[in-house]
Amino acid sequence: MDRVNPLSRLKAVGARAEPASEADVLAGLLQRAGRGDQAAFGELYDGVSALVYGIVLKVVRDPSQAEEIAQEVFVEIWRLAPRYDANRGSVKSWIATVAHRRAVDRVRAEQSHRDRNDVVGRQLERDHDSVSELVLDRLDRTRVLNALDILTQDQRAAVELAYFGGHTYREVAALLDTAEGTVKGRIRDGLIKLRDHLGVNQ
Amino acid sequence: MTNDLHHLAAAYALDALDESERREFEAHYPSCAICSAEVSDYRETAALLAESATTSPPADLKDRLMAEIGSTRQIAPILPDRVVDLAERKRRNAPRQRVLALAAAAVVAVVGFLGGLQVARSGDDLDDVLVAVDAETLPLEGTAGNARVVWSPSEDRAVLIASDLSDPGTGRAYELWLIDAGGPNATGLFRPDADGTVRIQLDLDGRSPAAWGITNEPDTGSDQPTGEILLIGEIA
Repeated sequence: MDRVNPLSRLKAVGARAEPASEADVLAGLLQRAGRGDQAAFGELYDGVSALVYGIVLKVVRDPSQAEEIAQEVFVEIWRLAPRYDANRGSVKSWIATVAHRRAVDRVRAEQSHRDRNDVVGRQLERDHDSVSELVLDRLDRTRVLNALDILTQDQRAAVELAYFGGHTYREVAALLDTAEGTVKGRIRDGLIKLRDHLGVNQ
Repeated sequence: MTNDLHHLAAAYALDALDESERREFEAHYPSCAICSAEVSDYRETAALLAESATTSPPADLKDRLMAEIGSTRQIAPILPDRVVDLAERKRRNAPRQRVLALAAAAVVAVVGFLGGLQVARSGDDLDDVLVAVDAETLPLEGTAGNARVVWSPSEDRAVLIASDLSDPGTGRAYELWLIDAGGPNATGLFRPDADGTVRIQLDLDGRSPAAWGITNEPDTGSDQPTGEILLIGEIA
């Protein structure tokens, strides 16, 4: 696989990952929302709310907390809409980034709060098995999950624990009892493999 | 070190860096073509992972959200568009009447803003700008700390006073931009003191600002802003 020009690959992934029309529609809605168009923002919400709520729920687990965070995410998207830069990636990618970051920050803030207050119970909350089960029980999302199948078991565990579990790679290393550098490499190799696979199979 | 940072793009895109590494990487990647391409690349991939988890939110979320955005102000657009707008307006308002600040008022405003910061000694060069009869003062708004620019056309100099600025990162610095009809002009490169404060004097070189902005740049400086605008103030 060529690593020479990641940018051209990105374009290939972006173009093939979702129908151009959907990406264009979302970009148009976001642009209008950026000019203060609330109706356009409402339509944008309809298009991506399941994406936002889904990933937030996956990370934080608690539905009422996920709902609260999802609302914050959308307010943030509304606020930042005038600054969306299409050159940096698709609308979905940007929104998923905002949502995931917000969910992870919440989980970590609570984690560190717990760590401070509960020195004895410094156990990471989510273990590997439960995350894998959660991921596996959604086998109907075939495309991505098929793509996850192409990863080695180790890569898959690292990617899932990091992204769906909301863990840092250091935490993932501790959970898997593996060297940090190794986990970092698995995450990277796993993502490259997924990127290439998702890019060529659409 | 740079090589290590390059290898963080994937973990960064999954939000799998801890706080300090995240900050370090964020200071690095916008100016690194390889890393920024990888970050967007991996973020697209992550978004597809997110799509495997889609779940419809409760129906009433939308109503609450729409009510909230109705009363939420949107942020100003980023610099490039903004520069064009400002440059445009500057051209139109070329002979714009300048609001003169009284020396006493400027001193009060500056001292008030300084708060706990050390106030310049009398006779200090900085004071010449701060108390100049035509001194103008403008707070910059944004996400990184507090900053204010005071400048005086007659002195042809500006003073930047800032607090609560984070470390710009290894090999990085902040850059102050004077934005006029010709676009952004690099006016000064600086790093905050250990306590996050900045107090520097800069030359206007005869330029008349329509806005001031601060970005994070390589510590060798940039001709044009490459980082995201962190703080900006537009002259009314």
